[in-house]
Amino acid sequence: MHVLGAVGPGATALLERVAPRLDGRVATVEAVDGRGPTRREGVDTAYTLGDGGWRAAGGDSSLEAVLDDLSADHDYALLAGFPEATVPTVALGEADAANVVLEAADADEASVDDAVAAAESAEPHVTLSTLVERVKQSPRAERAGAIATFTGRVRAKEEDDDDRTTQLTFEKYEGVAEAKMRTIESELAARDGVEEVAMFHRTGVIEDGEDIVFVVVLAGHRGESFRAVEDGIDRLKDEVPLFKKETTVTEDFWVHDRE
Amino acid sequence: MTTVRWRLFADLAEVAGDRETTVTVGDGATVEDALDALLDGRNGLRARVFDDGTLADHVNLLRNGDDASLSESVEEDDELALFPPVSGGASSHHRV
Repeated sequence: MHVLGAVGPGATALLERVAPRLDGRVATVEAVDGRGPTRREGVDTAYTLGDGGWRAAGGDSSLEAVLDDLSADHDYALLAGFPEATVPTVALGEADAANVVLEAADADEASVDDAVAAAESAEPHVTLSTLVERVKQSPRAERAGAIATFTGRVRAKEEDDDDRTTQLTFEKYEGVAEAKMRTIESELAARDGVEEVAMFHRTGVIEDGEDIVFVVVLAGHRGESFRAVEDGIDRLKDEVPLFKKETTVTEDFWVHDRE
Repeated sequence: MTTVRWRLFADLAEVAGDRETTVTVGDGATVEDALDALLDGRNGLRARVFDDGTLADHVNLLRNGDDASLSESVEEDDELALFPPVSGGASSHHRV
């Protein structure tokens, strides 16, 4: 799922112009101040559901959690009014944001094409659910009775007295890394009984406890799915040019230097 | 003359002080010639990637995205890459 933000006066108007230009399913998320539907006391999440669609209200959530939910079945998320988000953001009227990719005086002045291009060139928001939903859409899904998944995440400690790992930073050989991943996917998917393979590895800074890498296998039966998921993550780690720098509470180092 | 582009990653880029650079070699030059041109004046990088006078086994060498040998020839606009072992699964906590 590609994500585009807009901040400043006219942010919502700009995103309303962007939405119809996008192919695929589009979500919008708007920052509001204390407004929104109310929930009864003791209720954490409330839905209304009917023929015309659904509405929902919930308590504490973060933008990250909302994007994680949307990423399962949306191609784009448009965010209005989240200046602190690290997503590609259009800044209108000299508003400030963490990751400004385009500036314009107002919504009329902003180039929709440039905004969409900036969103599409950034790393997409991908979760395990994104890949699981993707393989379920396969034309070969009716032959598949199993989905096996692997999630790699940032481990803070191996032993109690280890220095805590606070973050990892992944650098990627752009283009070649993707090509190698697509090769691994197609070679594993060519095995008897394996229908689809999807993998994704995040890059940049990933904090302690966050997910790093996903491998998802759609297969006829569980045996093939387990073998393919294990071989998939092993091959990804051996063959795909991704480099890991580890930051602990005391130091920074490239992980391959310590092996 | 043939101009090729070098890409460097991880600590190799840090040692070299450059992530990307171009070098020019003679017609009919090999990957090894392009490597010599890259390492010319970059002694830190040479020390990092060479082991007993040859390219260390653990250093990966790619030409246009595929594994390359030192003896193959280069062509105009080739992209060569040098990088350390890829991320692997081990962390500091495994170190001995």
